[in-house]
Amino acid sequence: MKMIWLIALREYAENVKTKGFWIGILLFPMILIAVFFFQTILAESAPTRHYILIDQSGRYAEAVETAIRLEHQRRILQEFVSYVAENRREANPEQTVTNAGAQIDQLIDDVDADEVAALEQWLENGGLNFALTMATPYLREGAPPFVTPREQFVPAPLPEGINIQASPQEIIAQLRPWLTGARQLVVNGAGSNLFAVILIPAGVDETIQRPGTTPMAINQNSSGMQYWASNLTDVRLPNAIERSINSTLRNNEFAMRGVDAQIVRDVQRTRLPVARLDPTAKEGQEAVSIADTFRQWAPVGFVYLMFVSLMQSVQYLLSNTIEEKSNRIIEVLLASVTPLELMMGKLLGIGISGITTIIAWLSSFTLFILFYPSAQTAMLGQFFDVLLSSDLIPYFVFYYLAGYALYAGIFLAIGSLCNTLKEAQSLMMPMMMILMVPLVTMTFIAQDPNGPVARIMSWIPLFTPFTMMNRAAAEPPMMDVIGTTIVLILTIALVLWLSGKIFRQGVLRTGQPPRIVEIVRMLRNRH
Amino acid sequence: MHENVLELSKVCKKYGAFTAVDDMSFVIPKGAIYGFLGPNGAGKTTTIRMILDILKPDSGSINILGETSALNVRQRIGYLPEEKGLYKKMKVWAIISYFATLKGMDKKLAKQRAFELLETYGLKDFADAKVESLSKGMGQKVQVLSAVAHRPELVILDEPFSGLDPVNQEVLEQLINDMAHAGQTVIFSTHIMQHAERLCDRMLLIAKGRKIFDGTLDQARAIIPRRVILECQGDIAPVLQTNGIICATEKFATDATDTSGTRHWEIQIQEHANPQLILQRCFENGIPLTRFDYTQPSLHDVFVHLVGSDAREHSFR
Repeated sequence: MKMIWLIALREYAENVKTKGFWIGILLFPMILIAVFFFQTILAESAPTRHYILIDQSGRYAEAVETAIRLEHQRRILQEFVSYVAENRREANPEQTVTNAGAQIDQLIDDVDADEVAALEQWLENGGLNFALTMATPYLREGAPPFVTPREQFVPAPLPEGINIQASPQEIIAQLRPWLTGARQLVVNGAGSNLFAVILIPAGVDETIQRPGTTPMAINQNSSGMQYWASNLTDVRLPNAIERSINSTLRNNEFAMRGVDAQIVRDVQRTRLPVARLDPTAKEGQEAVSIADTFRQWAPVGFVYLMFVSLMQSVQYLLSNTIEEKSNRIIEVLLASVTPLELMMGKLLGIGISGITTIIAWLSSFTLFILFYPSAQTAMLGQFFDVLLSSDLIPYFVFYYLAGYALYAGIFLAIGSLCNTLKEAQSLMMPMMMILMVPLVTMTFIAQDPNGPVARIMSWIPLFTPFTMMNRAAAEPPMMDVIGTTIVLILTIALVLWLSGKIFRQGVLRTGQPPRIVEIVRMLRNRH
Repeated sequence: MHENVLELSKVCKKYGAFTAVDDMSFVIPKGAIYGFLGPNGAGKTTTIRMILDILKPDSGSINILGETSALNVRQRIGYLPEEKGLYKKMKVWAIISYFATLKGMDKKLAKQRAFELLETYGLKDFADAKVESLSKGMGQKVQVLSAVAHRPELVILDEPFSGLDPVNQEVLEQLINDMAHAGQTVIFSTHIMQHAERLCDRMLLIAKGRKIFDGTLDQARAIIPRRVILECQGDIAPVLQTNGIICATEKFATDATDTSGTRHWEIQIQEHANPQLILQRCFENGIPLTRFDYTQPSLHDVFVHLVGSDAREHSFR
């Protein structure tokens, strides 16, 4: 035992000194920080976009301006909801739709459920000012004031010399240098690019399409409405305009056909909420909360974490064994310790470094949440609490260790048979394919955790750690939990015993990796 | 207390159809420097691996330090394998002390011992260097030191001299002698006879997996009959009546133009015969000698004599 410990310590110390280990440890928090940092920067740096609206028909300018105003309000609403979520007095993710009484919760839930309807409600209630008044009592003390996002789409003055009564083709031809960026607009004394031109020709009504009419070709020569912009990816503006204009158009149609538009709108906003209930929960807590949903999905995260960490560990184990073999250090070691001690020492040492990596990841994650408060991290932090309080952690610890012992045993045996990494690659291929299966099926299993596929995979020992982890939140039948655990432990014992055999004979081998027949002979060998 | 540190009896090892070691039996007494000699592929390394219980013999028995398996006494054994290798990223002192701790030495003592050894054998300045920065010869010295740092009772060195320059070979010979003086038993394998001649108390000669010779240096030399070479004008028939002569052969000069009439004889004499007697006979019979040459056969001659044809066969196979 002392020898195993000595070997494990050396493996650990050497592993910790490698660059790869530190890259592995630092990469995760760096990605985490990068994602959040860039998200914030991108959100804050969205540029002001200038547009020109030319309405020759004189009927739709108001609708377009409404659309743009609504788009702005939508952003304010979104920002406000996340501001409230971040600064709410009591942040409790266990709260559900049904037990949230406060209006502010209603608002957040409304936004989740149906943004358009919530937006209308928001404007009807008086928008931001009303919302702030309403929300203030529920905000925690010392919350920073809400910063209204600035308007993103701003009308620009028409450049001089453009005749807005000319034909659409002529107007666009004249504005083309601004649209392509060859010329700049002058807004408030500063140069700025023209983002879009919205052109509504006089005969736009002729292009309205109704059920039963044949669709017309849409091109710049038609007398239909035109949206010109060289930016093809930011579709918020054209979408908003299209929505708004069609809404205006439909209101006109209602009036024309003698229907009260208000009734229609009321009908449209009528909805029947569906309460999602969980029959396995305690009485009185059946309503499905965000936290419940999260708990159900959390195993997928654990499966992924397990996969990444196992991959890292077994790869290291493999290359490390091959190094010792090709350096012939193995012989000295074997004169000092038994092959089993060597194998166990390696398993232990690399296992501890794998656990170190996971702990480092989790603690950087925790530190990140603590020191970088924002709406998203606040949510994450709450989920983290949910996670720690759930019984998933013991499952993870058990299945991680079991999965590690299982796969490390196999990879160690492979490593002992090869002299170079290149040789190892061909033996590793099938193992890698097998390892991919739980990763590919993890979403599916999370959705149907006690279905036939999940149950069958649970009984295949190579998949048991991943699949059972995946099912952990769904309270799988006792028979599955206990049965697969017994099979898994027996398999681990068998794999370690057989790998020990192969390892003993493999480590002193030189030359080509063995054929299957030879491996079988090794397994049969008494020694 | 066991007198013999190592006893092999009828040990065999086959790799498929190839017999690597065949019916090997020998005994190594305590405190000796013991040489394993033999041509390449003779089975030296296989024998050593079986002694260390890294390989299991197919038949026969091994008794090492009173145990049937070296694994039970591995802390009392030091081993340097034939193919040398060290962890490249580790520091020199750390690797010596690591291997010593694997042999059961206390961590602190092992570190102290590592520095002590490095100083004694001229590697003090490299104690903190990484192994990958060392030259091949230095790396090998470090490996020898790491094999013996725990003061084992039995030291087994497989080809310790290969790859060392003459100066370092001497350092290594010194180390082996030091260990023998300290009462440690040293076994080393080599195919360089000079080292064996200088160091070994006893030696074992292996060829084709079989033991060919086991004994002291003198016994080895005795295998080749001692020779006296004579050159003279005329016949030496009276001399051949001397006691102790096994046979005499006249060697004819290959050069036919040699007309001086000088005849060349090679006389093999018994182990305990006195070559002075032949010289005396020559004077008594008035034979004018132009050359009288008496030499001890070197171990090299013995080696070539015993395994010469086999070894050549091997190298052309």
